[in-house]
Amino acid sequence: MNKPVPGELLAPPSTDPQAALAAWQQDYAATVGTDKDVANRSGIPIKPLYTELDWDAGDRAAGLGMPGQPPYTRGIYATMHRGRTWTQRQLVGLGTPAQYNERLREILAHGATAISPIPCNSVFRGYDMDESHIELLGTCGTVINTWEHMDQALAGVDLARISCAQNDPSPFTLLAFMLAAARRRGTDWRQISGTSNQSDYLSHYVANHMFFRIALPGARRILGDHIEFCNRHVPRWNPMSVVGQHMQQAGANPAEAVAFTLCTAIQNARDCIARGMDPDQFLPRFTFFFDISISLFEEVAKFRAARRIWARVTRDLLGARDARSWRFKFHGQTSGVDLTRQQPLNNIARVTVQAMAGILGGLQSLHTDAWDEALSVPSADGARIAVATQNILREEAHLTDVIDPLGGSFYVETLTDQMQAEIERVMKIVEEAGGMYAAVEAGLVQRMIGESARRFQQRVDDGGQTVVGVNAYQVDEDSSARPINPRPDRAAMQAHLAAFQDFKARRSQDAVQRALDAMARAAGDTGDNIFGRVVEAAEAGCTHGEICRTLRRELGFGHVQAIV
Amino acid sequence: MKREPHVHEPPAWLQAVLSGQRAAIARLLSQVERGDRDPAALSAALAPHLGRAHVLGITGAPGAGKSTLVHALLGELLGRGRTIGVVAVDPSSPITGGAVLGDRVRMGRHGAHPDVFIRSVASRGHLGGLSKTTSAMIDVLDAAGFDMVIVETVGAGQSEVEIMRVADTRLVACPPGLGDDVQAIKAGILEIADVLVVTKADLPGAQPTARDLKDMLHLRAAAADGWMVPVIGVSGTSGTGIAPLADAIETHGAAAGRGRRLRHLATPAPHAAHEGPAARVRRLATLDPFVRALGISCTDAGPGMAVVEITLGPRHLNFNGTCHGGVTFALADTAFGLASNSHGKVAAGIDAHITYQVAANEGDRLIARATEVSRSRKLAVYRVDVARSDGTAISSFTGTVYVTQVATP
Amino acid sequence: MSNTMSSAARPPEGARAPSGGSDPHAAGERRGAIVPKVLVTKIGFDGHDRGSRVVAAGLRDAGMEVIYTPPWQEIAAVVKLALEEDVDVIGVSSLATDHLIVPKLMDALRDAGLGDVGVVVGGIVPDGEEQALVRAGVARVFHPGGAMPDIAAFVRELACQVRARRVAA
Repeated sequence: MNKPVPGELLAPPSTDPQAALAAWQQDYAATVGTDKDVANRSGIPIKPLYTELDWDAGDRAAGLGMPGQPPYTRGIYATMHRGRTWTQRQLVGLGTPAQYNERLREILAHGATAISPIPCNSVFRGYDMDESHIELLGTCGTVINTWEHMDQALAGVDLARISCAQNDPSPFTLLAFMLAAARRRGTDWRQISGTSNQSDYLSHYVANHMFFRIALPGARRILGDHIEFCNRHVPRWNPMSVVGQHMQQAGANPAEAVAFTLCTAIQNARDCIARGMDPDQFLPRFTFFFDISISLFEEVAKFRAARRIWARVTRDLLGARDARSWRFKFHGQTSGVDLTRQQPLNNIARVTVQAMAGILGGLQSLHTDAWDEALSVPSADGARIAVATQNILREEAHLTDVIDPLGGSFYVETLTDQMQAEIERVMKIVEEAGGMYAAVEAGLVQRMIGESARRFQQRVDDGGQTVVGVNAYQVDEDSSARPINPRPDRAAMQAHLAAFQDFKARRSQDAVQRALDAMARAAGDTGDNIFGRVVEAAEAGCTHGEICRTLRRELGFGHVQAIV
Repeated sequence: MKREPHVHEPPAWLQAVLSGQRAAIARLLSQVERGDRDPAALSAALAPHLGRAHVLGITGAPGAGKSTLVHALLGELLGRGRTIGVVAVDPSSPITGGAVLGDRVRMGRHGAHPDVFIRSVASRGHLGGLSKTTSAMIDVLDAAGFDMVIVETVGAGQSEVEIMRVADTRLVACPPGLGDDVQAIKAGILEIADVLVVTKADLPGAQPTARDLKDMLHLRAAAADGWMVPVIGVSGTSGTGIAPLADAIETHGAAAGRGRRLRHLATPAPHAAHEGPAARVRRLATLDPFVRALGISCTDAGPGMAVVEITLGPRHLNFNGTCHGGVTFALADTAFGLASNSHGKVAAGIDAHITYQVAANEGDRLIARATEVSRSRKLAVYRVDVARSDGTAISSFTGTVYVTQVATP
Repeated sequence: MSNTMSSAARPPEGARAPSGGSDPHAAGERRGAIVPKVLVTKIGFDGHDRGSRVVAAGLRDAGMEVIYTPPWQEIAAVVKLALEEDVDVIGVSSLATDHLIVPKLMDALRDAGLGDVGVVVGGIVPDGEEQALVRAGVARVFHPGGAMPDIAAFVRELACQVRARRVAA
C-alpha cells in the first residue's frame, strides 16, 4: 500500500462512475443492516445516494436555463434574492381594526416589508358583526365590515409604498374597502400593489370551504370581472392568486398540489381568453400561493419543476409572447399542518426548515408561522420570532448570497425531473377530465386529495411517518405552563359594534340601496363588471354583509357537498 | 276519584305520538328500531290510526340524485302547507356494522323546518334494500299525523320490489344517460313504479332517457286500476319539473294511492289459496322450457321438497364421454328451484354450490332430491342430493334463495 | 390561517371493531351491546372539516351509526337533528375558537329536554378554556394527537351510559 503524499489528494479507488457506484453499493449493503424503502410525500422513491449517473451536469446543465431565462428552473429573475430579498409578508389579524393597527405597526417595525390583514371568520363567511355570535368576533382575525374599518386598520400605512395583500375571497369586498379608503386619502390607485390572495374559487370549493361564498358559476364570473377591473384600474395589483396551499393542507401531496394549481391557472387563463383578453395582458399579474411542507428537498424540487412547467404552458399552450407572462411568481407559507400541539416550541425548528425550503426553492414572498399557531391565534412573541426566523436565514445563514444554491446537486436535479414527471402525470388526468372546472364539479380532484390524505394519516398512525412529540419522543408535558392567548377585549368589541350601528344610521340609505341594486343588476348582465359595482357599493357605505348577501341571492349561495 | 282508563283510550306514550310530539315520536322510532317493543302489540296499537298519511316511496340506482330530489320536493310540499316525515335509509357496512347516514344532510336546509321530521336509518344488511323495521317506522309517522311520509331507500337497483309493501305511491328516479341500461334495469323496478322521474333534466342525456322509459312503459301490462305512469323530467338545481311532479304524486295519492299499502298487506296472492304445494311444483316443472329441452322430469313434490330425474343420452356428455357437469348442475338446480318455489312466492336463487363426487355415464338414470334446510321470511336454504338409480352418490348441491313477495305463475 | 392536523399515536393492541357473524348488529344486540348513534358536526364559523370527516369515518369503521353534517350548523338545527335522530352522543369539531359557543349548545340541548345526550369536543381548545367546557357539561375534550381507537372507545362507553340512563328513566 502506498503511503499518501502530504498535500496531494487521495485518489479514489476508481474514477469510472459505474464501478465506483458498484463498489459503494457493496460497502453500503454490508454496513447498513436493515435498510428501509423510503419515498417522499409525492410517492417518489428516494435512494441513499445520487450520482452523475442519475443526472449528468455535462448533458443537462444548459437545459436548466440561467436565472431569469426560460425555463426558469434556477429562478425567475436574474438577481433573485441577492438583488432583492423576498418580501416578508406576515399574515396577521385579530380583534378590532384599532387593535390590528397596533400589531401591524409592531410587525413593520420588526422588519416585515409588506402586510396582509386576516379578517375575522365571520367576515370570511360573509356576515356582518351584528349577525354573528359575539363570542366568536375577532378571535381569529380582524372584524372589518366597512371602508371606514379598513381605513382604521391601515392607519399610518402609505398604500402607495407598502404592499398590502387582501385575504378576502369573491366578491373581494375588503379590496373594495381598501380602494375606497385609498381614494378618500388621495392615494392614486395606480400606485397600489398587492394581491387578492384568495381569488382562487376552485381551490376553495375543493379544499377550503371556509372561503367558498358564492356558487361556482357566479364565482367564475366575478373572478373574470375582478381580473379585468384590476388590470385596467389597479395595474400593479395581482388579482389572480392561484392557491396550492388549501389543497396541500387538505392532504394533496406536493406534486398533486402543484398539478392542481397549474391546472386551475390554465382554466382561469382560458376563461380570460374567452372574454377577449390578451394573455400578455393578464398573465403577468397571475401569482401563485403555496404551502411549504417540512419535506425540504421535495419542496425545493417542486418549485423548480413548477417554474419549468409554467414557462412551457404559458408560451406554448396559452400563446403568451411576453417573457413577463412566463414567470412563475409565488408566495409561500410555511405549512401549519406539520406543526404540533405537543412540545410546541419544536415548531420553531420546523418553521425554520420549511422557510429554508421556500427560500432555496426561489419564492418571491414568504410568511412564516408562529410556533403557537397550533394552539390559537399567535401571540405577539410568536409573531416576532416568526419574522426573526426570516431575518436570521437571510442575514446570518446568508441564504440570499447565492442564487439557486442547490442547482447542480445530483439529488435535487434528479428529483426536480421526477417531480416534474409526476406533476405532469396528474395534470394530464385533470385535462382529460375536461379541465379543472369540470374535474372539480365532478368531484374527481376531491377524491384524489381524500385518498392522499388517508394514505398520509395511515403512515402517521402506523408510525411510518414520525412526528416528534406525537407518535415518537413523547414526554409528559406540564400544559399549565402554556401561554393562554387573551381573547379579544369584550368591551372593545362591543364599542366596535356600537360604532358600526352608528355608521349604518349615519350613511345615506338611498345611496346604499341604489348601489346594491346596481350590483344586483350587474349580476344578471354579462356586459357589466360586478367587481366594479362592488367598489361603488363600498364607497357608498354598503357593508360587507350587505354586499355578500345581495350577490349570494343573485348568483347562488356557495354550498359544498360533504363527502365522508 | 281515580278515573279508570277507558279500554279504548291510548296509553300515554301513544297519546304523545298521536299528538305529534317530536320527542315522543323519536323515542318510539328508536324502540321500533332496536326491537324494544313487541311488534305485534305495537302494530295493533297503531292500526286504528293509520291510513291518513300518503306514503311516498322513492328509489333508484346510486347516483340517481334521490336526495337532491327529496330536497326539492320538500321545498315544494312545504310551500303547499304539508307536514312531512322522512325515513332516509343508508346502507350499513356488512363488515363492521357501522354506517354514515348521509342522506339527511343531502336533503339540505329543509331539515331545519319545523314541519319536517327526518329520521335516518341504517339498512343493517337487509337484503331487500330496506331496514326490516322501516315499515313499522312509517306506521309511527303515519299515526303521528304527518300529511306525507317519504321513504327514501338504498339505491341498490335490485329487489326494490320491497317498497311495494310499504308505499302508497312508488317513485323511481333514473339519472340521464341510462340509454341501453334501461333494458338492464331489473324489470321489477319499472313494473312497480307509479311515477318515473328523470333527474338532472338539464343535462343532454335526459331527453333520450325519458323517451326510452316511455317506450318501456308501452311494453308493460296496463295497471289494474288504469293509472297511466307519467315520466317527468326534474332538475333539482334549477327546480324545473318539481311542481308537476308534486302534482302527479298528489293526484296518484288521491286516485289510487293513499292507504293502498295497508290494503295490499291484507290481500293474499291469488294462486296460493287454491293450489297445494305438490300440485304447484308439478305444474311449474311443465312450464320451464329449459327443463323440457334437457329432458328432466319431476317425479315427486311437496312443500319445500322436489324430486326430479334424467336419463343420460349422448347429448348430455362431455368430451371425455361422461356426464357433463352442467347437466348434473342443471338437474340439481331444477330440484332446488322447484322446491324453493313450492310455497307460492317467487324465490330467486342467490347462491349455489355443487360438489362432483362420481362420474356418471350414458344410459345412467340420475335422481335429484331437494329438501328444505331452513326458511325464514326472506331467506331459505336447500340441500340437493344427486344419486344414480343404483344408489351411488353422484353429487351434492346446496343453494340459497331470497324470497320475494311476488306470487309464482 | 393554519390548520394543524398531526394526529394519532399507535393504536393500543387488540383494539378492533367487533366482527364475525353474518349480521354484526344482530350479534351485538343479542350480546346486549348497543349500536351507538353519533352526530358529528361543526357549529360557529370555522370550515376546516378534514378532522371531523376522518373521525366520522373512524366511528363508522368502529361499528357505529354516524350522522355527519358539514360545517356552519346553527345551534337550533343541531338540537332538532339530535332530537329527531335520537342520538346518543354529539361530537363537536372545533378548530378555530368555535368551542366558545359550545356552552350555548349545551343550554339549548337542556332546554329541549336533551340534557342527557353525551357531548364531546374535538380540536384546538386552549388548556385554560377546557375546564369551562367541562363545567358546562362536555364529557371530554379531545386534542390533536388523539388516537382514533381511543376516541371510538370513549364515545362507545359514553353512548352506553346515555342509553342506560334513558332506560332507567
